[in-house]
Order: sequence, then C-alpha cells, then structure tokens
Amino acid sequence: MFWAALAAPGIIWLILLFIVPFYVVLAIAAGQLNQLFGTPIAAWNPLDWSSANLVGVWHNIVGSGAFVGPIIIRTLYYTAAASVISLLIGYPAAYFVARFAGRRKALFLVLLIAPFWISYMMRMLAWIDLLQTNGYVNKVLTFLHLVSHPVNWLGGQSYTVILGLVYGYIPYLILVLYAGLDRIDGALLEAGRDLGLGRVRTFLRVTLPLSRQPILTGMLITVLPMLGDYFTNQLLSGTPGTAMIGNVIDGDLSTQAFEGQGAVLSMLLLLALVVPMIYYVVATNRSSREAV
Amino acid sequence: MTTTAATPVQPGAGTVGGQAARSPLLRLRRNPWGHPWFLEGFTWLYLLWSIVPIALAVLFSFNNGKSQSVWQGFSWRWYFSDPVNSVLHDPQLRLAVIQTLRLSTYTTLIAIPLGVAFALGINRWRGYTSSTFNFVMILSFVIPELIFGVAMFFLFTDLFKSVGLGTLAETLGLVTWNVSWPAIIVQARLVTIGRQYEEAAADLGATQPQIMRRVMMPLLAPAIFASAVLVFSSVIDDFVIVDLLNNSVSNTPMSVYIYSQQHGGNGGPALNALGTIMLVMSFVIAIAGYFGYRFMTRGERIGTQQALATIAGA
Amino acid sequence: MHPREGWQADGTPPRPGLSRRGFLRQSAAAGMLLGGAGSIGSLLAACGSGSSGGSGTPTSNGIPLPRPNHPVTWPLFKDNQTIKSGLLPEKGATLKIYNWVAYVNQKCLDDFGKKYNCKVELTTFNTMTEAVTKLASGQANFDVFMGVTVDVLGRLIEQKTIKPLNHSYIPNISQAWTDFTNPFYDQHWQYTVPYTIYTTGIAWRKDHVPENPYTMANPWAMPWQAKYKGKVAILDDYREAISLGLMKNGIYDLNTTEQTQITKAQQALQELVHLTNVHIDNNDYTEVPSGQIWIHHAWSGDMAAAAAYMPKGVPVDVVGYWFPPDGKGPVGNDTNTVLRTAQNPVLAHLFLNYLEDLPNVLTNISFNGYMQPINGITEQRLVGDGILPKSLVSTVVLPSYFRRGVSELQLPIATDQLWQQAWQSVSHGV
Repeated sequence: MFWAALAAPGIIWLILLFIVPFYVVLAIAAGQLNQLFGTPIAAWNPLDWSSANLVGVWHNIVGSGAFVGPIIIRTLYYTAAASVISLLIGYPAAYFVARFAGRRKALFLVLLIAPFWISYMMRMLAWIDLLQTNGYVNKVLTFLHLVSHPVNWLGGQSYTVILGLVYGYIPYLILVLYAGLDRIDGALLEAGRDLGLGRVRTFLRVTLPLSRQPILTGMLITVLPMLGDYFTNQLLSGTPGTAMIGNVIDGDLSTQAFEGQGAVLSMLLLLALVVPMIYYVVATNRSSREAV
Repeated sequence: MTTTAATPVQPGAGTVGGQAARSPLLRLRRNPWGHPWFLEGFTWLYLLWSIVPIALAVLFSFNNGKSQSVWQGFSWRWYFSDPVNSVLHDPQLRLAVIQTLRLSTYTTLIAIPLGVAFALGINRWRGYTSSTFNFVMILSFVIPELIFGVAMFFLFTDLFKSVGLGTLAETLGLVTWNVSWPAIIVQARLVTIGRQYEEAAADLGATQPQIMRRVMMPLLAPAIFASAVLVFSSVIDDFVIVDLLNNSVSNTPMSVYIYSQQHGGNGGPALNALGTIMLVMSFVIAIAGYFGYRFMTRGERIGTQQALATIAGA
Repeated sequence: MHPREGWQADGTPPRPGLSRRGFLRQSAAAGMLLGGAGSIGSLLAACGSGSSGGSGTPTSNGIPLPRPNHPVTWPLFKDNQTIKSGLLPEKGATLKIYNWVAYVNQKCLDDFGKKYNCKVELTTFNTMTEAVTKLASGQANFDVFMGVTVDVLGRLIEQKTIKPLNHSYIPNISQAWTDFTNPFYDQHWQYTVPYTIYTTGIAWRKDHVPENPYTMANPWAMPWQAKYKGKVAILDDYREAISLGLMKNGIYDLNTTEQTQITKAQQALQELVHLTNVHIDNNDYTEVPSGQIWIHHAWSGDMAAAAAYMPKGVPVDVVGYWFPPDGKGPVGNDTNTVLRTAQNPVLAHLFLNYLEDLPNVLTNISFNGYMQPINGITEQRLVGDGILPKSLVSTVVLPSYFRRGVSELQLPIATDQLWQQAWQSVSHGV
C-alpha cells in the first residue's frame, strides 16, 4: 500500500530508536554488576533478570538512611511551586496579549515569545551573572534598602532554584496559554457582556472554563520536563540540599557502578508519569479531531 | 447590573499611554469594560523581567574585561579580537559553534522528510497499526527529555555499541526527539486541507505520485517549512540529549559547552558571547521562518499573530 | 616473609599455604562467573610473567592492589602491546587529549602543536569518575589521558583502556625524581609517566574567616561551622570527600574497608550538608580568590595558582592554604597515559615526553599551579620565578610527604562500591 510505505520509515525509526531503547534501559535496570571491574552488564533475556538494582534503589528510597525519598518529595514540591507560580504569572500576561492588546498585539506577541528562542542555558547564564554576591540584583536591593547586606542567592537556596525553574519554563507555558486563549471565540465574551456580566464575572464564567484545556495542557508540558530537570539546580545552587531526582539519575549515569540504579530510577519516573503522558496524547488526539 | 472590577488599577501602570489622568476608580465604575491598565502593567513588568536579564547578558558579552558586572568598555574581544580566548580563536569555543550548526542541519535534513512521510502515511492509512504508532509519535513529544536521553545513552553504549557516543548518536537522538514536530504539524495541516484537492486531482486522472508531487506538496509546503524552522531552532537550544551523548570537545555543542564550563568554574564573558551567538542564530532562523512562512501562505488569510504562533509551534 | 604478606584485602588473617592452584581456582571462579573478556588470560598473565600479584600483594578478585610496601608490576597483554620503536610522528594529525578542567596550559599545547606540526584538541572532564565512565562508553578515540589518579590504574589496565608505553620515545623521564621512575603503583613505569604531585588541604579566606587552622585542635573540622552557611565547599571527588570525613573523625586509613568507618565519614559529611549547605565542586581555584567561597576543601596546586584569579585590587595573601605541618594528610600524584584506542600513538608518546621537560613544566605550573616531580622544581625555583606567591608556600609538596603522608590508593571493587554509595547518599548526584 502506498500510504503504508510512506509511513514505514518513520515507524521503523520509532521502533528502533524509541521503543527498543526502553527495553535496553529495562535490561540494564534488571542487570548485574561485573564483579571484576564494577561495570554494568545488561540482561537481555527476561529469565536472567535480577532485582539487585531495584532492591538497591528501593533501599535508597525508603530504607534507613534513605536519601532518594526526600529528594522525590523535594522535586514534587519544587515542581508544584514553580508551575503554580508560572501559571499565576503567565496566565495574566497571556490573557492580556490574547484579548486586550488591540493594535499592538503583534508587538506584544513578539516580546512574549522571544524567550522561546533564547536558549535555556543563556537564560540561566543571565541570572547567574545577576545573582552573584556583587551582582546587579544585590546592588539594586541594597540601593533600595530592601536588604541590609547582600543576599547569597547562589548559596544553595531553594527559592533561587524554584525561581530559576519558573524563569526557564514559563515561555512554553505562556505560548500554550496564549494559543488557547486566543482561540476563544470573541462572540462568547460579547454574549456575556450583552447579558450584563462585568469583566470579572465574564472571566470567571466564560473565559476560565474555556481555558481549562489550555491550562491543563500547558501545565503538562511545563511539569513533565521540570521533573527531569537537573541542570537548573546544578547551575543555580550546586549543593545537595536542593538536589532533584534528575540530579540523582544524572549522577548515577556518570558512575559505572550505579548505571543500573540510574536505569531503575529512570524507569520508575517513567511509570509515575505514564498516566499524565497518556492523558496528554489522548487530549491532543481529541482536540485535533475536533478541529476538523 | 454593573460590577466594579475586583482588582484596583495602578495609576502609573505600564509605560504606554497616559490616560490615567482622570481618577481611575471613578472611571472604572463608569466603564467596567475600559482598558485593563493593571493587566497591561503586569504584562509589561513580566516582559521586563523576562527580557532585561538576557539583554544584560548580551551586553556583557561585549565587555572589554573579564567581569560580568562591571562595565569596562565596548569590545569585540570575546568574539574575534582576542587572539587566545575569543570564540574565533579558542578552538574549544569554535568547535562548539560548528557542532551546533552541524547538529541542527543534519537533524533538520533527516527529521523533516521522515516526519512528513510519516504524517502523510499515518493520516491516510487507517487501522490499529497506524493509530498505535501515531500514539507513540505523540508520546515521544511529551516524554521528559531526561528519560528519553537516558534511554538513548544506554542504547548507544550497550546495544548499538558500534555507534557509541558522539555526533552520530547525538544526531540519531535529536532526530527521534524532534521528528514529532513535522509529524504533528503536517498532520494538523492535512486535517485542515481535507481530501477535496486530492479527490479532484484523482478525478482528473492523476496518479498517486503525481498527486503527491503537484497537489499535496505545494499545499503542505508552509507546514513543512514551519516545522523545519522549529526543528532547527529546537536543536540549537537542545541540552539534555546532547549532554548525555557527547564524549569529546569535537562533538560538544554550545549549550553543553556553556553548561560544563560554568559548572567547572570557567565562566566568563566568552560564555556570554557563545550564548549571544546561539541567540542570534535562533532569531535569524525565526525571522527567516516568519517571512518565509508569510510568503508561502500569501494566498491565505493568515494574520501576523497566527504566523508568529505557528512558527513558535503553538 | 614479611609479616603483612598474605593478609586478605578485607583484613582477614593470612591463610597459610595458599597455593598457586588454590589462588587461581578461587579468583577464576569469581572472575569467570561474570568476567569481562580475557579475565582468565589476565589472571594467568598476572600469576605468570613477572608479576608479584601471586602471594604477597593484596588483591581484589585477581587485580592486584598497589601499596607503598607492596609494589605492583602490571601484566602486559598480547592484545594490548606497545607501539614499535623508531616510528615517525603522525603527519597532519590532531592529537586528542582528555584532561581535567584547567589542568594543562593551553600554551604548552600550542607550543607542542607548533613543534610537531599537528593540531591539538583538548576535551575536559570535571571528575575522575565521570572520565572513567565516559571512556568505558566507547568510541572516544582520545590519544592521551592526563591527570589519571593512581587509584583507577588497576581498572584501566585490566580493562585494557590504556596502552603500555614504549620508553624509547620518552627520554625526558631522566629529568623526573627517581622515586617516580619506579613507583609502587606501576613498577618500571610500564603504563604511566608521572604528571603532578599535590596535597589536599583546606583553603580559606583570611579576610572573612578569623579562625586559623594552624592553631585549631582539629583543623579538618574547620568546614563544620554553621556561621559560614553558604560559603563552604568540599571537593567533588568521592575519595577526597569521604577521606575528609574520615580525617575529621581522626581516622587516617584512607583506604579503609571498614563499613563502620565509612558510615562515620558519611554521617559527618551529611552533617556538613545540613550545617552549611555545603557546595560540592572542584572550583576551589576560582571560588576562593573571588570570595564566593570562604572555606574550601582544596588541592594544593589549585590554590598555588590563586594569584591569577584574584579580582582587581585584592591581594593574594588573603588566601590561605593549610596542610598538616606534620605531613599527615592526603598526598598524591597524578599520571599521564596513552590510550589503547589512540589514533596518534607516536605523537601521544612525544607529548608525554614534552611534559617531562623542565622549561615546559615551568610553563605548565605557571598556569595550573601544580608541582611536578621534575629535577629543578623546588620551592626556591617556584618562588624565585614568581610562579608561587610567598604566602602560599604551604602548597609546596616535599618528597618527605610521600613517606609520612597518607594516600588514597586503589580499593577492592566491593569496598569501592561502599565508598561510592556513601558518597552518593551525601552528594545526591550533584
């Protein structure tokens, strides 16, 4: 069939480079450690699978002296805080540009989505420069007498990491929110106005329910990458006290003896996120069919 | 039955307009549908917070000195005049720029045909197989990059050992990560177009390949172009996959180089210069993409904002 | 027979009459079960040709553990032979070097490239653990692996990652201190040439930290002060960090296999994390001069180079480096090696030779601050040439340190994993 032949390269590619790799991760996760060199050995045959790595990771999560459990909780906390803050900041801005920008909408839109094309590293670099003890943020704060002496922003503070996450991921959220809010039919809002609703009531009863889908989608594409973030913490803090689960996985991968544990953690993270991911796919499929 | 807005207006809000001369509260009570000054002010504040740090970082890449907070005069030294440490002369910095360009080009050249063919095939081929793989394709879009990167790492170090880590692995990983862009965008466009043109062409006696070449491709050209722009700029900024799959300075792109140098204590304006180059590259692509897209859709009624949003992937 | 001969690596008493057959059988069983390729061959080679891994040296599943009183001659493998003598350097080549961040002077690389008409490409890593893992992931094709610590040599040699050296290309070895031409960790320098020598101590900013470690009762406990929260850092190296925890608790066996001691060290470090939000990085050479960190667990060479990183107007004598005056602290040396997958092995050898020559060594030290065991490198020379500030002569490494000091050496695999696990539960992957 012609169409099947067109889709075939993509399908083969997906199988080889998207589905098979997860089996490799499973094989490493269920594999063993070479006792002579301390290197990981993959267990390709399910009959050879060992639970050594899983037990090790489990021990690290809930055993005595476990350190991964608190890290998981901290990751959830940082991600929740960062996404809520992102929503609180991003929604009003997206709402304004989508509905009230009038003739200057193009200008606002360009400014709004410009950070989308500025690489994450550059954005973090900008803040590292500003947050130094003798950097501009401290200079401004001490000048305005808001603090008595310079704040050690980069000294391993959780609020620095959370704000870094907000700054880094908000452009993606804003874009999705903007697109969703833009799509709301103006006629519906006018109808609300005609029926006598003020601006706030219109917002609460018309706009907000209609923006539920963009909010959910936006939250998903913000929260999911944030859960795997390790570089924000590394650049803005560099201390174990603010480590996220991504740091543990990344660190595991750099140490031969722990590659298996890294594979296990990665699989566990995937399992935990499977439901939100599937929800996103179903929602995308549904909305694309509705758009016809 | 009018209501006053719950949020008070800030008199001096925003840098645009000076209509706040009259008492704002009075105004509000009379016209609940007047301009939302608070929201505008908030948006400007957000934009300032969003853009000013970058502007400063770009500014200090032109600093004539090592400091990133004390201005010592304008200079191109970190770009090309410094004979040792500039991007042009320091081999590690130069290799980073080249690698980013190389990866972006290779990935775009492979991912676009792959994704477009996939989109066409899946869209027309009904059945469980096709919808399953469409599902997998969208899944590849939403999966956290770290999990995917870990899978790629193990794939190339434990199964496809002949590939190992390096440019080939990075390209394969990046293509897989980005193939969902053309696949999803072209599919959306196909849905919008519908089958009418194809059927008309078939009625007029065209064969499948002819329909493909003379009807579908021109209609899909804007979507293909937009997704190419997206893939290219997405690869410029990509970090996690290349961080896990690089093993030598010759296959370390700019994003990873900035990270590892900053991590290793070697920060400095040269990194700012590298970041600015990345920024300029992305902007050039975005601008070219925007105008290209407008040109390609000149027959359709697509406004500025929609074009911008499409280029950004919304 | 030396009283310590025959003791097992984990401290159990010697088994009298451990015959060669018995040794072979027991290590073969361990190695064969999960063995990497050639492990039997390597074991046989280790027991056969000229290796002292047979009866006296502690071993870990057949891999000998070098100790100062148990020197090791590594085996040579048939499938990992040295290059032939008398070859010409490769033409139009790019010499690929894998080294720590900021550990070799770019000028040395440029000069070498000019002299031998080749390009030189430097790739850097932040920790030794990361480097070993990246090399094992294959396809790296570096020529030279620099700054290799002696505790990973066993693994690299047995996995055939590094190549034995052909001495005819490295005549400058005659300039090295004699102690290092036949070191205990690589007798007859078959696989390595010495690179740097260094001590590990504590660097501090005298203008921000009034305490003087020279007068403290337990100077190793200096970082454990809550009032310096956010201004304290330790090295990102599992051996160095756990050793710091050990020494803070008064334990000086930095190769201990005792779980209780390792746990004590781990708990001390976790306490440090809670007390001070300690940073974990190897950036002592920039952070202490810039004032970002006030107390940093540091390497001597990094602090010796502090003068180059001081901000304008801040004199270098605000930086202090403490190493125990009685010499009872970590002292070590790094090595340079040629990789088996080297595409330019002749150039690689010549590069190793280049860095054993006194003028090049002085150029190198003026950048990275680390002393090298080359004749002519003395405190007087370094201070006289303006390479070392007078206020930092505590970073000088004396040959006597190697006799009195304690070293972090190769650990048995199982112990190594205990150390790694302890470190992981402190660092959390950061």
